[in-house]
Amino acid sequence: MADALAKSDFIGKEEHATAIKPFVLWRPTAKTGLMSWLTTVDHKRIGFLYGISALFFFLVGGVEALMIRLQLMVPNNNFLSAQQYNEMFTMHATTMIFLAIMPLSAAFFNFIMPLQIGARDVAFPRLNAFSFWVFLAGAIILNLGWFMHDGAPNGGWFGYTPLTTRTFSPNHAIDLWVMGLQLLGVASIAASLNFVITIINLRAPGMTMMRLPVFTWMTLVTAFLIVLAFPAITIALVELMMDRLFGTNFFEVSNGGMPILWTHLFWVFGHPEVYILILPAMGIISEILPTFSRKPLFGYPIVVFSGACIGFLGFGVWSHHMFTTGLGTVATAAFALTTMAIAVPTGVKIFNWIGTLWGGHLQMRTPMMFALGFIWLFMFGGFSGIMHAAAPADAQQHNSYFVVAHFHYVLIGGSLFGLLAGIHYWFPLMFGRKVSEFWGKLSFWIIFVGFNVTFFPMHFLGLNGMPRRTFTYDYNMGWNGGNYLATIGAFILGVGVMIYFVVMIYTYFKGEKVALDPWDARTLEWSLPNPVPEYNFRVIPTVHARDGWWYEKHHKEEVAQEQKEHAQAEEAHGGIHMPFQSIYPLFAGIGILIGAIGIAVIDADPGPNLVGKKLATCLVGFVVFLSSVYLWSLEGNEGYHLHIDADGHEIPDDHGASAKH
Amino acid sequence: MSSSAAPAHGHDLEESKFQLFVQVAMLLAVITGLEIVTVYLPFAAWILVAALVIASAVKFMFVIFVFMHLKWDKPFCTILFFIGLILGGGTMFALLKIFSMQASLPLQ
Amino acid sequence: MSSTAAAGTIDHHHDPSTSTGIPNKKLLMWLFLASDCMFFGCLISTHLIYRLHPPPGTPSAKSVFSIELTSFSTFILLMSSLMMALAVNAIQKGNLKSLRVSLLTTIFFGCIFLGCQVFEFNNFVFEKHLTITNSILGTTFFTLTGTHGTHVAVGVLWLILMYVRSFQPQDLDKRRGWFLVNLVHVLALVVAILLGMNLVLGTTRALEATGLSAATLAHFASGAILRILGLLVALAVLIRLGRPAGPVAFNEGNAMDVEMMGLYWHFVDIVWIVIFTAVYLLEYI
Repeated sequence: MADALAKSDFIGKEEHATAIKPFVLWRPTAKTGLMSWLTTVDHKRIGFLYGISALFFFLVGGVEALMIRLQLMVPNNNFLSAQQYNEMFTMHATTMIFLAIMPLSAAFFNFIMPLQIGARDVAFPRLNAFSFWVFLAGAIILNLGWFMHDGAPNGGWFGYTPLTTRTFSPNHAIDLWVMGLQLLGVASIAASLNFVITIINLRAPGMTMMRLPVFTWMTLVTAFLIVLAFPAITIALVELMMDRLFGTNFFEVSNGGMPILWTHLFWVFGHPEVYILILPAMGIISEILPTFSRKPLFGYPIVVFSGACIGFLGFGVWSHHMFTTGLGTVATAAFALTTMAIAVPTGVKIFNWIGTLWGGHLQMRTPMMFALGFIWLFMFGGFSGIMHAAAPADAQQHNSYFVVAHFHYVLIGGSLFGLLAGIHYWFPLMFGRKVSEFWGKLSFWIIFVGFNVTFFPMHFLGLNGMPRRTFTYDYNMGWNGGNYLATIGAFILGVGVMIYFVVMIYTYFKGEKVALDPWDARTLEWSLPNPVPEYNFRVIPTVHARDGWWYEKHHKEEVAQEQKEHAQAEEAHGGIHMPFQSIYPLFAGIGILIGAIGIAVIDADPGPNLVGKKLATCLVGFVVFLSSVYLWSLEGNEGYHLHIDADGHEIPDDHGASAKH
Repeated sequence: MSSSAAPAHGHDLEESKFQLFVQVAMLLAVITGLEIVTVYLPFAAWILVAALVIASAVKFMFVIFVFMHLKWDKPFCTILFFIGLILGGGTMFALLKIFSMQASLPLQ
Repeated sequence: MSSTAAAGTIDHHHDPSTSTGIPNKKLLMWLFLASDCMFFGCLISTHLIYRLHPPPGTPSAKSVFSIELTSFSTFILLMSSLMMALAVNAIQKGNLKSLRVSLLTTIFFGCIFLGCQVFEFNNFVFEKHLTITNSILGTTFFTLTGTHGTHVAVGVLWLILMYVRSFQPQDLDKRRGWFLVNLVHVLALVVAILLGMNLVLGTTRALEATGLSAATLAHFASGAILRILGLLVALAVLIRLGRPAGPVAFNEGNAMDVEMMGLYWHFVDIVWIVIFTAVYLLEYI
């Protein structure tokens, strides 16, 4: 086995091959098979893993949604018990937000962003892998409840105290929710730290910040939002967990605690979170519209600046989720003002997108359909949102189905449509095949119709008084028609999503193969062959203008000359540097999973043992985590070198005999 | 990552860095001492609180700009950290303001 | 990647392979610290919010806190911050011996701080009857200072691992088994610290309980023979392993890692600057 590896042309050799290292510091070298996936540090593979997980959990969340809609289809229904209904709406929201939309966005951040800036990978490849494994651990913890006696989390995705304290939720369901979210927070923060450093520091020569593709800009703003907003929920969750595990008084009224503090801390995180959900989709739309309008994005600096504004202002509006909690006139007015202010940069973006379309030679391909759907539907969601900003009006709308309508318009009509558009758009780059226009457009229309039939009636249901999060309603409230219609719509939406998925899977295996750059696009990722080679760019490009690839296509000779020079320079430096794979991100994730299980799942052992089951599990997890991180730091960040000729073929590494590193 | 570019710092600057660190540490110790004395002074609460906040802020700035080297690093590092600082401070300020208002007083 | 450049030739502030010139790791740590600002900001907010309207029956913080002890631990942490800055300074000049001494002193001061915290917590719980569950003050105080203490402990562990890493031999072939030696070195340090803290705290408690006298000390020592022996063994191992034994794979090129750790350690110090004022001093006004 070792001999075969030694002779392999594909595997680079370590610089100090003669050094004998302890086996714990051997670097995995598998390029195919299960081990290659478990030890990967390649941003494209990690993006793919995020994408597959996200799409799986999207289906899970969809099933949960359909269960909700079935229960609400008719009045006084008993399809689900009240307890089961609570689990459904809690898990539907938590799954869709944290296990579907966010990881799907992360899939694009991982796969596309480094390609757009001309980099070979992210700044910290092993940290990137670690983020994915911890995400998976969080997803597992969140969903364990379905298989356990205590049931799935049922306190709402916002986990308001005192409902979620031990007094009112004594079993493990809420513990699973708390620990699941903590893990997801760790994963998100780690990934976002990576993305910020990558975008700031690993740009290709000539790629100034104002030449970055808008998707990359939105990645940057989203990453900042995650890094700065998640600590608030981390603290809130720590406080809740301490109340539940150790009997502290953070939210214990009888001993001086204030449950409203949870609400504040949660929404300090929760509001930036919704911008985290929408900005990536806005970035994707900002790539698709110019490509299919055959003209550059209108008002690029303003689009970028408004994205940054939204991110920053998003930290100052959180109490608009709490207008009815008795904040007092001053606070209510202040937050109403800031909420109205934040509509301005959002509106600005819409005008810029319309400006991009205006006078363009529009090509109505499937990604463009989803993008246009985005603009229209997101605007609707924005209108109902601005209605919430008026605090007196919100007093009626709060906790009613009007809010449900609002956020589904921005989250499905906005985020989801943007992400579905992105999948269609970048499918050829990732998998070398293009989705059939007919089936793509069919899935779009069914989704579009189904979505509107489901959620438009909810505006009226809400204004007519139907409350959220209530497992049933009586027959004489006047809500029967709207609910029935919404359920029909939900199943149409389900059919549309099914078609979309089936089409994707079919296309992956049997779709029409495409050559380079099938959309004649504008940004650097399209300069790469498909499937994208492991090292991304044979030669790091030099960027001369915004829409770097568009410039390259229209200045072919200049670029060819540059590429030759850069190729020589890179060879002189020893070739393309690639990072080694590593098993430790996975092991560290496993350690965290074990620890989380110890905290959330195992009962505290009241017996006289020195170390009960709970503490023992936590300690095991801690030790596994600590050892993994230690070995991760010891194995170092060395790599190997690749030499690629002009045709993309690999030249065997002569270990620096011809060039000194 | 390393480069073999000759650094701007000479040997003398390195020596004075050592001295600078020690001097700043002494200054911080003195300010801490002053803070402890302050709380026992017979002034109005708001004056004392203001004095403590200023003293802490001064210590804070010395540690980040000297010990953590921000003074000699590129400005972007300072910008990055201050974004988090300002957001954290702003959130803390807003929360305290909300909870101090009449409407937030616990019912008797 | 390690470099074998001669001492003093690396520009530690500039990395030409990055777009901004700022080394990746430095940028990463600063961004993480910005995030940690929000983290501690929310935790400190919780404490200050609950201080605004204390419910009836809340113990008075002034009657529980000991300003002398806290002032002492504040000075200690400040001095550890100085030692950390000197450690970074040392490795940037390639001075290994100075680095190791500075790292050990930082660890030493950090452990004194932790010991003071342990002493304080014990005192509050058992003598002042302020526990984490019996009042809102106890809850917020112990959670906030406990979280800070955990950050310090993580920092101490990091320092220990960095110290031991500075002994990794350059020629791994000649020093087979270096990895096990590594682990023993770490273990020895951890054991020395734990036993040392245990003995110091135990001695202090014994002296507190039965007065300052040689008899008390002798009585305590006789009950702690095993621990004292353990400590001596650990110290012996440390002295033995701390002797330079050939070229090591740790030099100026590793300064960025030490600097990263230094940033974390200083941050923990500035959080304490805020906590000292906002939690302790505020109660005395």
